[in-house]
Amino acid sequence: MLEIGIGEQGRIFIAGRLDAAQTEKAQAFLDSVEGSAVVDCDRLEYISSAGLGVLLRTQKRLMANGGGLRLVNVNPHINNIFRYSGFDHIFEVEAAGT
Amino acid sequence: MESTFKRSFDSLQELFEFTESFLETESVHAADRHDVHFAVEELFTNMVKYNAAGQSDIRLALERNGDHLLVSLIDSDSTPFDVTRSPPVDIHRPIEQREPGGLGLHLTKKVVDSIEYHHDNGCTTIKFSKDLR
Repeated sequence: MLEIGIGEQGRIFIAGRLDAAQTEKAQAFLDSVEGSAVVDCDRLEYISSAGLGVLLRTQKRLMANGGGLRLVNVNPHINNIFRYSGFDHIFEVEAAGT
Repeated sequence: MESTFKRSFDSLQELFEFTESFLETESVHAADRHDVHFAVEELFTNMVKYNAAGQSDIRLALERNGDHLLVSLIDSDSTPFDVTRSPPVDIHRPIEQREPGGLGLHLTKKVVDSIEYHHDNGCTTIKFSKDLR
């Protein structure tokens, strides 16, 4: 299951599993984001390529208008997936514990 | 340990729970679990997307052989789609040249240790192995 919303300090939080069955929910929320935003991934356990597509689509839209997403508290497994995808070049990514 | 799953993204939660149950029983390390879940989902969703008209359920089989995990996904009502021959992905392109999609098989090859594809008489079998830490 997936939870997504606005948490502490106005940060977006994503929690649970962002798999191919959850992309519609995540995209619907992220489509409402404007400007620059921090996404707290502390409770994000898993992301698939379908979830990566949601993040990329959002980042392209925001960056075209001078904004963007910063992904923080990213667990090591997901950080590997970001690196293998080249997402560490197109997002600002902060690993958990840094 | 094996089971069948309906050809739908709605099966993903059930697929995850089945796989996790096996990995937990085998005391598989968290990092390896993540990689196995990732590969299983990507290969399963490919079968769903590219053979949407298939009538059969999709079979998942999990087996441990010493320090290796062997996983098979079998779609007995499918057209050929060789996942081992997916085009290379240039992950260094700037964001303006990146589009969503196309990463799943690239990433699957990164997180597993070997992958095989067979198609015979409408039946696709994809096998991968993961060396366990």
